[in-house]
Amino acid sequence: MIQTRHWRLFAAGLILGCGFLAKAAAGYIDPGTGSYILQIAIAFFIGLAFSVKVFWKKISAFLRKTFSSKKGNGVDVS
Amino acid sequence: MSPEDVLPSSFRDPAGYVFRRGGVFYRGIRKSGRPHYDMLMSSGLYKELVAANLLVPHEEFPLEGERVGDVTKVIRPEEIPFISYPYEWSFSQMQDAALATLEIEKRALRYGMTLVDASAYNIQFLGGRPVLIDTLSLRQAVEGEPWTAYGQYCRHFLAPLALMGLKDIRLGQLLRVHLDGIPLDLASSLLPLRTRRRLPLLLHLHIHAKSQKRFEGRQVRVARGKVGRQALLGLVDSLESGIKKLHWRASGTEWADYYEDTNYSTEGLDDKRKTVEEFIREVRPRTVWDLGGNIGTFSRIAAAAGAYTVSFDIDPACVEMNYLRIRREKEENLLPLLLDLTNPSPGAGWENKERMTLLERGPADAVLALALLHHLAIGNNLPLDKAARFFARTGRHLLLEFVPKSDSQVKRLLVTREDVFDAYTQEGFERAFGEVFTIKRRVPLSGSERALYIMEKK
Repeated sequence: MIQTRHWRLFAAGLILGCGFLAKAAAGYIDPGTGSYILQIAIAFFIGLAFSVKVFWKKISAFLRKTFSSKKGNGVDVS
Repeated sequence: MSPEDVLPSSFRDPAGYVFRRGGVFYRGIRKSGRPHYDMLMSSGLYKELVAANLLVPHEEFPLEGERVGDVTKVIRPEEIPFISYPYEWSFSQMQDAALATLEIEKRALRYGMTLVDASAYNIQFLGGRPVLIDTLSLRQAVEGEPWTAYGQYCRHFLAPLALMGLKDIRLGQLLRVHLDGIPLDLASSLLPLRTRRRLPLLLHLHIHAKSQKRFEGRQVRVARGKVGRQALLGLVDSLESGIKKLHWRASGTEWADYYEDTNYSTEGLDDKRKTVEEFIREVRPRTVWDLGGNIGTFSRIAAAAGAYTVSFDIDPACVEMNYLRIRREKEENLLPLLLDLTNPSPGAGWENKERMTLLERGPADAVLALALLHHLAIGNNLPLDKAARFFARTGRHLLLEFVPKSDSQVKRLLVTREDVFDAYTQEGFERAFGEVFTIKRRVPLSGSERALYIMEKK
């Protein structure tokens, strides 16, 4: 479990990031601005985390399949 | 079609609206919504969502040359037997509705579409499962745009679930006041500090609330086209993991252990069961309301006989236990809902018409009110004639259990209050209910002084 202090730093970083993005862009948007900006701020991290998760799932599924089929073969042979 | 046919709750969406004609609901699709509808139908997404029981099925309906404004197509969705609202759902009903919404968004993204609304009111229970009823909320996604409905999703689903699961189950009732979902700053301030240690809650509730506050009412310039599909899938995945980790255990409330703590004899309970069965057989209702239905023991008799049964109870633990059983046993025509009869769901929203009152959603063909009246009459000082008039508005046929003052459950109610209920007698009850109902039969319950009354509205 990551310490609460680290979460606070992470949160502070995100909020600062939101502020930075707000200054650096073009086009006016509606009152859901905070929700909109947050998504832009976290898009990269959340997309990366998701890709890693999907990749890890594929690897573990492959390993499970490989080992279970080897185990299965072993039983058949004996 | 006249403007009166359009539902009072259907005015926000420029892509279409719902209207009712001859008791049947239709959805008119305007010119602006048509490309999105066509994409939904031709892409295969509609078929996939309907097959997965995530979207209400519909059939297209001919316009027949009627003048319907800029409506270019009319569809007739499958009928929802009873419209329910999020403030009437148990924890798991809300959680399943939340997960269904995310599953729909996930599948929509794969087809280049997205949900433009993530309102909890767009979800209804059909066949025991949550389904999306707003077909037009699925639109073509704009490449690189964030999820428009993200803020609404967090207010309508994540905030109430977090409050119910991590603070107090009764906080779900905040949805009655906040019809567009619980404001995130309010949810954030009510939630315990420890919830900041959960990444999905930290991001989507606490930081989200701060971000909303920071940019509230400010016209800011933001970059467009920055959120790719992988990021959107990541967002949905993160919300999903946050929602799945929320739990609430239904126990320890006043009514959840009711059947383990009553004074019914086995014979008395059998009499009750048999009389309910006879009543349902005689009346053959299409719809039944079981008021004070507890965990649905008697509701299931009506449901098993084919009646669509709504099992109302005041106790969130009972509603939760009832729903979990429905989910486990895949029961299709039973819907448990949370309801305080002394303060039933009101008309709410614009002109008090967007959300219907309880009575506007009735009447039912038959009503069960078992071991309920004494709580209203003695627990809530409700005069019997007022109770009779209320029940007459809920349905035509009524099966009601009268529990006299000599019963230990009523004695228990009177322990802490002065007995000012002189009219609460068998004679007083029969007189008051006899004014509005024809009392057809009285069935005494063995081993107790209780009796069941089978009545029909005059």
